[in-house]
Amino acid sequence: MSKKEITVALAGNPNSGKTTVFNNLTGARQHVGNWPGVTVEKKEGFCNFQKHRIRVVDLPGVYSLTAYSLDEIIARDFVVDEKPDVVVDIVDASNLERNLYLTVQLLEMRANLVIGLNMMDVAESRGHRIDVKALSSLLGAPAVPMVAASNRGTAELLETIYGVATGGIPVSAINLRYGHDVEAEITKLEKLISGNSLAGSYSPRWLAVKLLEDDREIIKKIGQA
Amino acid sequence: MDNTEVLRVKDESLEHLRKVHGDDAETLIADARYGFISGLMKDVLVKPAVEKETVTDKIDRLILNRWLGIPVFLAILYGVFEFTFVVSAPLVSWINMGLDWLAGLATGVSPAWLSSLLSEGIIGGVGAVLSFIPVIFLLYIALSILEDTGYLSRAAFVMDRLMHRIGLHGRSFVTLMLGFGCSVAAVMSSRTIDNPRDRLVTILVTPLMSCGAKLPVYALLAAAFFTAYQGLVVFSMYAIGVILAILMAWLFRKRLVPGESGHFVMELPPYRLPTVITVLAHMWERGWAFLSRAGTLIFGAVVLIWMLNYFDVLEHIGRAIAPVFSAAGFGQWESAVALVFGVLAKEAVVGTFGTLLTGTEAAGGFGHVIGTQLGWTPLVAFAFMTMILLYVPCVATLSIIKKETGSWKWMLFTIAYTLALGWVAATLIYQIGSLFL
Repeated sequence: MSKKEITVALAGNPNSGKTTVFNNLTGARQHVGNWPGVTVEKKEGFCNFQKHRIRVVDLPGVYSLTAYSLDEIIARDFVVDEKPDVVVDIVDASNLERNLYLTVQLLEMRANLVIGLNMMDVAESRGHRIDVKALSSLLGAPAVPMVAASNRGTAELLETIYGVATGGIPVSAINLRYGHDVEAEITKLEKLISGNSLAGSYSPRWLAVKLLEDDREIIKKIGQA
Repeated sequence: MDNTEVLRVKDESLEHLRKVHGDDAETLIADARYGFISGLMKDVLVKPAVEKETVTDKIDRLILNRWLGIPVFLAILYGVFEFTFVVSAPLVSWINMGLDWLAGLATGVSPAWLSSLLSEGIIGGVGAVLSFIPVIFLLYIALSILEDTGYLSRAAFVMDRLMHRIGLHGRSFVTLMLGFGCSVAAVMSSRTIDNPRDRLVTILVTPLMSCGAKLPVYALLAAAFFTAYQGLVVFSMYAIGVILAILMAWLFRKRLVPGESGHFVMELPPYRLPTVITVLAHMWERGWAFLSRAGTLIFGAVVLIWMLNYFDVLEHIGRAIAPVFSAAGFGQWESAVALVFGVLAKEAVVGTFGTLLTGTEAAGGFGHVIGTQLGWTPLVAFAFMTMILLYVPCVATLSIIKKETGSWKWMLFTIAYTLALGWVAATLIYQIGSLFL
């Protein structure tokens, strides 16, 4: 019997320790290629867990998922087009607030999110106390405290990835509200988009939000469809 | 479903929201996200009332200081080259001893042409390039440490103000710094620069930086002509590169692509102590390109040079070009040939000299042979190093410039202006230097 494969996309800000987590997860089983059509490096690695083969794709380190840079477009296209089983967002716990901006956007995309709360030691040394349980439940996604530099939390992260991929751990993404007026416009656009040919691969609500953000790439795609 | 209808309704919505809120919908949406997050933070994070001054803050007070920032940057850069040369010197001489021994073995091989190919071509040429492995790898270790600790971002921050004056942004400086490693990677890194005009200018001047492949040329000549001041002479090459890159960027930004420059926040990631594995991995990523080039491109070039030389063709080619460079002091056919092959890859310059000038091999490399056989003085060597620093980037860089700018025009422009700049700079150095020396 061939092994089942779980695809995991590894997202996170630059300097969040994403690369270290990637190395911890995959060890030497990596290969480097290019993202299709561009010369941005694409790293992939593999590991085994519970008779499953886990394929980890390292997304470019980004702060946001707008269309302002190639890296951001690559990262979000992968989440939208390839629909990875799990998206792991590596978050620098000592810079929680800034890092969560990306997390929120991943949740808006309805990704099956696991939050890797990395550099917990740095956060603690600064006297930051993070209520991991509250964070998980408020975001509706499991969070795993980690110190990737000393390989702590890797096993727990793998277990959580496996749990989310196989449905054992539920992810109940939040529905961020953008305020009354914006919501009204979103609803209007959502209705129009629902009948659209693009609706298949994108969630209509997400498309509506992106349109209101005047997102170049999405506008281009809609114009071509 | 008509998609233009969707886009029309979108424009209406944006117009409506702008009227109601006086803000773009994009801002409103971002505000909603920030609002959500700051609310969330209240529930999940307890911070000490007074944030302790972190180590990062303390170091930054010194490194980002208005007056000390640039001197500190220059001192660190100088330290990198001293470190590279002091540590690598014994390793390089061991490799050279090994190469001499191999060349000795090869002279016993028959027939004579094979012996010549092995000892002069392959051991002399490829070996000369390989003997600089310690220099290259140590430089890459130092650069990786600078990058992985977070210092590189600081250097860009310190230069940000200066860069704004010349119409560019600190992020362009990060690209230039990465050019110390390899121009190909640096040109690719320019993607983080949003403003297309800033990006174009950054790409055009990146080849003026001293990349890792130019270092063997400096190391060879500095060891032969400037024994006591090796580190300083090599440092001056790096400095000339940075200064000219900034000057040319200013000129291009003013004359070639005038217009507003982009503004954005410079990220200052906290300092990190990089793990040994991370540093070694980054060193290897960069160094591997050098090693594999030595085995493929340089090997091929050296065999070609040896063949052309064996059949007496090379000298004719060299003599045809050489007069162009007499004004700069290096009008010998050997140096002309070296410059031609240097366009394949800069370290091929060392390979060329290694192939053409062997036969008088001695411990400590063959650099001194350049002095005796070509009649170079330290001044000529310095002018030649400047030429290597500035003239036409290697083919790999040219092709990435073509790819990233999307046009042949900018690639050809790069060839033309770097060639002119290199020639003028080398000639000025030689002519003015000759007045005094």
